[in-house]
Amino acid sequence: MRFRYAMVCSSNQNRSMEAHFLLKRQGLDVASYGTGSHVKLPGPSAREPNVYDFGTPYKQMFDELRRKDPELYKRNGILQMLKRNLNVKLAPQRWQDNAGDGVFDVVMTFEEKVFDSVLEDLNNREQSLMKTILVMNLEVKDNHEEAAIGGRLASELCQEIEGNETWEDTIDDIVAGFEKQQRRKLVYSISFY
Amino acid sequence: MVGAIMASSSYSRGKLQGLARSAKSATDLPPKLHRLRNLRRNLQGEASVFPAELLPLLFDLLSDQFGAARKFVAEILGEIGLNDVELLPEIVPLFIKSLQDDTPAVVRQVIASASALFPSTLHKFALQGLHSSELDELLQSSWTWMLKFKDEICSLAFKQGNSGVKLCAIKFVQALILLYTPDPSVSLESQDFNISILRGGHPVLNIGDLSIEASQKLASLLDQLRHPAAKSLNSSTIIFLINSLSSVAKKRPAYCGRILPVLLSLDAPSFLKGVHAAAANLALKTVFLSCLECTHPAAAPWKDRLIGALKEIEGGSRAEKAEDLFYATNGSIQDKDCVEDTKFQVSVEQNSLRANSVVAESNFGRKRSGSEYNIDLNGDALTGKRSRITPSVSGESTEGLNGNSVGSLPLVTSTSTGPSNSRGVSDTGPVQQLVAMFGALVAQGEKAIGSLEILISSISADLLADVVMANMHNILLNSSSYADGTDELVMNMSIVGSDAQIKYPPSFVAGVLSLSTAFPPVAALINPHTPKTENEGEELCVHHVDQPIFPSVDAVLASGLSASSVNEEGNIELPPNVDYRGNIESGIPGLDSSAQRYVLSEAPFTSVLGSTNVEAASKNQDTSASGELLLAVIPSVSVDKSEEFSPKATGIGSYSLVSSTATSLASAPQFVLPKISAPVVNLSDEEKDSLQKLVFLRIVEAYKQVSMSGGSQLRFSLLAHLGVEFPSELDPWKMLQEHILSDYLSHEGHELTVRVLYRLYGEAEAEQDFFSSTTAASAYESFLVAVAEALRDSFPPSDKSLSKLLGDSPFLPKSVLKLLESFCCPESGDKVEKDLPSGDRVTQGLSAVWSLILTRPGIRNDCLKIALQSAVHPLEEIRMKAIRLVANKLYSLSFITQQIEEFAKDKLFSVVSCISSERGGPETLSNDCVKPVSGAGMDSSLEATSVTEAQRCLSLYFALCTKKHALFVHVFSIYKDASDPVKQAIHRQIPILVRTMGSSSELLKIIADPPNGSENLLMQVLQTLTEAAKPSLELIHTIRKLFDTRIKDVEIIFPILPFMPRDDVLRVFPHMVSLPMEKFQVALSRVLQGPSQSGPVLSPSEVLIAIHSIDPARDGIPLKQITDACNTCFAQRQTFTQQVLAGVLNQLVQQIPLPMLFMRTVLQAIGAFPALSDFIMEILSRLVSKQIWKYPKLWVGFLKCAQSTQPQSYKVLLQLPPTQLGNALTKISSLRAPLAAHASQPDIQSSLPRSTLAVLGLVPDSQGTQTSQVQASETQESQVQASETQESQVQASETQESQVQASETQESQVQASETQESQMQASETQEGQGKQQASESQEQTSPSQQVSVPLSHSETDHNQETSQVVASHSQSSPIATGRSETSQSQSSPIGAGQSEVSQTTQVSDSDPPLAPTSHTQTSDSQPDNEKMEEDTATSENERSEVDKSKESSAEEEEEE
Repeated sequence: MRFRYAMVCSSNQNRSMEAHFLLKRQGLDVASYGTGSHVKLPGPSAREPNVYDFGTPYKQMFDELRRKDPELYKRNGILQMLKRNLNVKLAPQRWQDNAGDGVFDVVMTFEEKVFDSVLEDLNNREQSLMKTILVMNLEVKDNHEEAAIGGRLASELCQEIEGNETWEDTIDDIVAGFEKQQRRKLVYSISFY
Repeated sequence: MVGAIMASSSYSRGKLQGLARSAKSATDLPPKLHRLRNLRRNLQGEASVFPAELLPLLFDLLSDQFGAARKFVAEILGEIGLNDVELLPEIVPLFIKSLQDDTPAVVRQVIASASALFPSTLHKFALQGLHSSELDELLQSSWTWMLKFKDEICSLAFKQGNSGVKLCAIKFVQALILLYTPDPSVSLESQDFNISILRGGHPVLNIGDLSIEASQKLASLLDQLRHPAAKSLNSSTIIFLINSLSSVAKKRPAYCGRILPVLLSLDAPSFLKGVHAAAANLALKTVFLSCLECTHPAAAPWKDRLIGALKEIEGGSRAEKAEDLFYATNGSIQDKDCVEDTKFQVSVEQNSLRANSVVAESNFGRKRSGSEYNIDLNGDALTGKRSRITPSVSGESTEGLNGNSVGSLPLVTSTSTGPSNSRGVSDTGPVQQLVAMFGALVAQGEKAIGSLEILISSISADLLADVVMANMHNILLNSSSYADGTDELVMNMSIVGSDAQIKYPPSFVAGVLSLSTAFPPVAALINPHTPKTENEGEELCVHHVDQPIFPSVDAVLASGLSASSVNEEGNIELPPNVDYRGNIESGIPGLDSSAQRYVLSEAPFTSVLGSTNVEAASKNQDTSASGELLLAVIPSVSVDKSEEFSPKATGIGSYSLVSSTATSLASAPQFVLPKISAPVVNLSDEEKDSLQKLVFLRIVEAYKQVSMSGGSQLRFSLLAHLGVEFPSELDPWKMLQEHILSDYLSHEGHELTVRVLYRLYGEAEAEQDFFSSTTAASAYESFLVAVAEALRDSFPPSDKSLSKLLGDSPFLPKSVLKLLESFCCPESGDKVEKDLPSGDRVTQGLSAVWSLILTRPGIRNDCLKIALQSAVHPLEEIRMKAIRLVANKLYSLSFITQQIEEFAKDKLFSVVSCISSERGGPETLSNDCVKPVSGAGMDSSLEATSVTEAQRCLSLYFALCTKKHALFVHVFSIYKDASDPVKQAIHRQIPILVRTMGSSSELLKIIADPPNGSENLLMQVLQTLTEAAKPSLELIHTIRKLFDTRIKDVEIIFPILPFMPRDDVLRVFPHMVSLPMEKFQVALSRVLQGPSQSGPVLSPSEVLIAIHSIDPARDGIPLKQITDACNTCFAQRQTFTQQVLAGVLNQLVQQIPLPMLFMRTVLQAIGAFPALSDFIMEILSRLVSKQIWKYPKLWVGFLKCAQSTQPQSYKVLLQLPPTQLGNALTKISSLRAPLAAHASQPDIQSSLPRSTLAVLGLVPDSQGTQTSQVQASETQESQVQASETQESQVQASETQESQVQASETQESQVQASETQESQMQASETQEGQGKQQASESQEQTSPSQQVSVPLSHSETDHNQETSQVVASHSQSSPIATGRSETSQSQSSPIGAGQSEVSQTTQVSDSDPPLAPTSHTQTSDSQPDNEKMEEDTATSENERSEVDKSKESSAEEEEEE
């Protein structure tokens, strides 16, 4: 079954993009979003993150940060990440503004806060299509290493879901199997478009 | 025109039909779908009425074979139905049928269509009914069908089936419930459809009935979640049910009361096993949280339980958040102690129409507004509530102020709009909750009457009474704050501490008040000397060091703002910098009673506390202006109570008047002013930064004081925390590093660094967002590296600071490990040389690595890698250090033993494969191979490098071998394939290694079974083992066994030769002789050397004798080797001295038969030691008596010897029997003349027998008969002897000992026949044993004795014994006796001389033989026999010569 997947984290930079990258490479129909109000990237200190609006092209961020402090951003892996991202898509997108992107079948989030925001947003939308949407949350720490792991897990999970005609009847088994195999907690919820 | 439309219409109709038909006829799915899509597009584009004739075609398609097509058709039909309600009666029945479709997707599509159709139909139906009493029949039937359709779908929701379908059906039910119930959030005027429009009256639809149905449906949904039913559901359904119900609860809060109990009692884990409980819990949590935000009264009673349930779900972790949220929602912080305040608030809030929860939630208003108006000494949450009064006031009095003041306090205005109607619930007490609830309901006006009634009826009478009582408090205030009492209240409040009321219009006062009730510029206005007062106050207040700094900063801001705002009023000109000056240094005044008077004017600079002081002071001044203790008054005075306002106001007012009239600062410093809040002033970034920097530096620099006062722990934490918080432009870490490194020890650098590191590590590891953790991680790394590098550079390597730091850091990033690696394995050689104390550096690094390996399992492998790399470092110094660490310390750690071993083994094996391949050609160089050697063409350098390279790789392994001897076997096994450089390297290290190992059992095992090709190595090992200490018996045994079984090379036993038993050595002696000369020399020296304590294994003479006893034929050793061995011995004159040789010869001469090389040795001895000539003569004469002429080979040698030793040998020669003398003289004719000359000396000639003289030609030959007679008798004798010996042969069975020394008594017997020599030997056997003992004792006594000629005495004794034995022996044999008698009888006819001889023989047989001289006598007494003897001898000689021709020929060749 050709499902549409959405990978969602807070800034649509690290975790969701890692997963997007992997799923895209596997030929799945995937998009990615962030639920934050802005795109935040580490800056020279915790107090001074680099803040961008959603929609700012990755390339632009890349160029800007490279100009600012190539050493720093290379060291913390930001430049590499942005480079990866700009090959995946143009710019970070915000989940709450994605109504025009059509309906998704499966949404993967990587943080409970994001999961809640996605559900809340879905509930606030007019639910008239009578189309189910599966929202899953896999807790992934927001760093490069964990994102790589999380991305891999997400892609495995989505591949498994993709193998079914519908996910409604099998999701329980898939989730149970995943939790057992990966020893990671996975929560899901169901909403409607 | 019309026609054209008609035409296009008909055309399109036809086209549509065609499309539908072709879609129907299409057999494949893709074209079918394509056509359907076209059809749909056309239908959507078609503005005109739907062609009814198309429907049957579509209905047919609804039972198409393809599920996808059916689904698509259902979608199209749904859209058609949406446009054309009239068609529904036709469409819906088919839809109902399709609900039974096998393909879930079709069913879902049908439900989806239904969920669009149903509301729209309802809408149309309701509107039509509202506007006209007549209902369209078609519409009515459509509606009827829709109802049926709905019921069908609802039934799907409550029965088992496909999850997807069921979810859709549930969703449909949810939508239905919402549809059937009025939406409270949508007003009647709204465009959206709301069921409440039916209130207007509808012929068919009844809003009550619909509500009932909705309620029933809700009940069904809820029932699904109730206990038994829920068990049969799968978790996705449960989750969705929860979500669905939550959305109902949210959108229809009225249902909260029904839904929440079910959800709250839903004990997810009890029916959801394991994993999905989490998801269900999460869903529940979301519901609960959203319900908490719900402001509907129906939800209110559940809030406590919701919080409890959330706590349970979250395990308390997020319950606090929930509580916060709850209270934030309610707009204030709970304070159970302030019931009155709450009442007051509620009353105020009742006036505000709508809750603005967003604003209410912004609790940041709490602090500001609190400081503005708050009078609470404890600084608790009261402030939040107080603030609410102000806004309502200020809102009304704003016009009196200019906009500036309002703008400066946006919070105030925002709160004014924000009193929430739920705020009253802020108190957890049920009474307060209810009061709030009532308030909220009342606020809704008429609408809520119903709810109010329900609420009232549902609570108990007692509770209701309490509520009423509680509410009574609000009534008064309510009236005063509401309606036109506002101004009054405002004025009341503004009176506090000022006479403003008098001077200014109330509106302005209110404005001032809203800005801030305490306002320094106002005070300044009243009393222009305020600044000075401030200064005084400042002096006094400097002592308040215990006050935090920040409040004063706030105060600065406050004053700054207030000053400016007042400036705008134009009433006062107070430079803001005055305020700054006054505040930067000062703490918070106010608590100090002595400062009270002066402090009062500074009230604005203080925060919460200060504001209280104003109150307190004002009261204070009421009673006594002399400055009573403030503390006595401090207990909070509530401003809220209006009855307190007026007296105070008057009092203060009066005071203010006084103060304003005061002209002298000193005399009238007491004045009270209302205090003003501390609004925020935005500093520029630079200012902030510099401020922060100053603060930071100050803390940094305060180390002395801090450490003295014992607060350094706090200081560390503070610095670490500030470092994290500060923006990076300030580079707090850099500052800190500089401080730490400027004096690491006295600045407690270690502790501080570790604290910082832990803080950063915690920051990096915390589950925070991406950037802060990344930043912290990089800060961590750079900090640690910077400190570590600085420590390395500034401290001597012996210092332990660095390793302590590494050990204490929470985590070691790669860069630090790299640093460590650079310690342990410096990159290139020249670098090391530059850095002189690098050796210590290595030690430092290694010891750090060691401790890390011990204490940090996490990075154990990395550290071990460093240590191991260091252990194969090209520089020997470093390598040795590392190896010591690895082998001595690390290797014994069980958890890494294996790894170390593997590594060493790899290196060992790589060295073989690598270096050998390297030699083969540079192109085969493998990667892990040792560093490539400079030039491939330069063989010598290659060789040298290879050796060191090999050593580099091997050292570690060898070191491990000393710890675990079994590993050594691999060295043996690689040895065979190892290239020369490797072998060389191995050989270099073996001695040290083996010496360390000693002959352990493992090593013995290896030695016992060495791999092929490792002989050389084995040799070296053995050599080393035996060099150091006496080898153990096991070792000797092992080697012997090895020699016996596997390795035939005698060299293998060289090392143990000195330690072997003598017999064993003698047994292997022939093997040694067969070795090349050099090796024999080695062996010889070993044998002769022996272990120091017990002396040599063999004495030199024994060695020589052993050489002589080798039989070339028997031992298979070429004669040449034996002679070479002899030569070797002779070459060593220090060892084989004259005495030794004499002793050897003395012993050899006694052997029977004489050793083959005897004469050769004699000759050599003479050549080597001419001084031995006398002794040699003795030997020669003994040989004569042993009838040396019978050994042709030796005879030649004898003669040579005689020739070379003339003239001494004359005497010996003359002893020869005449025949042999003649033989000798014919062989060496040159002797004749000198000998004759010698014999012709009168005294000699007289002693010589005639026959001898005859041979010499000194007398004519006349006595031939006699001689022959003698000869004959001798022959007979010898025959007898022969027979005798034959028998004795029988008796004497043992023949081993060859070293039999011929006794002189036997000589006569021996003389009997040469042929008997072997038999003789046999007969002598028994005696030989005795003799051997004797000879041994002789040996031991002294070799010199043997040498001296007179030694014959002792020999004589022996011989006596021996002969006795022989005699008894012969006697014991009767046959022999008989024979001898016979011989006697036979001999008798011959003659007297003969009998004489026989007698003599007998005598010599029985009696002790005479000394050598007696021989001469005997021979003297037989002059007549000579000739005969000569004849027989000759004949016998010939015979024996034939016998021995083979041997002798060979020997003669040798002689030549």
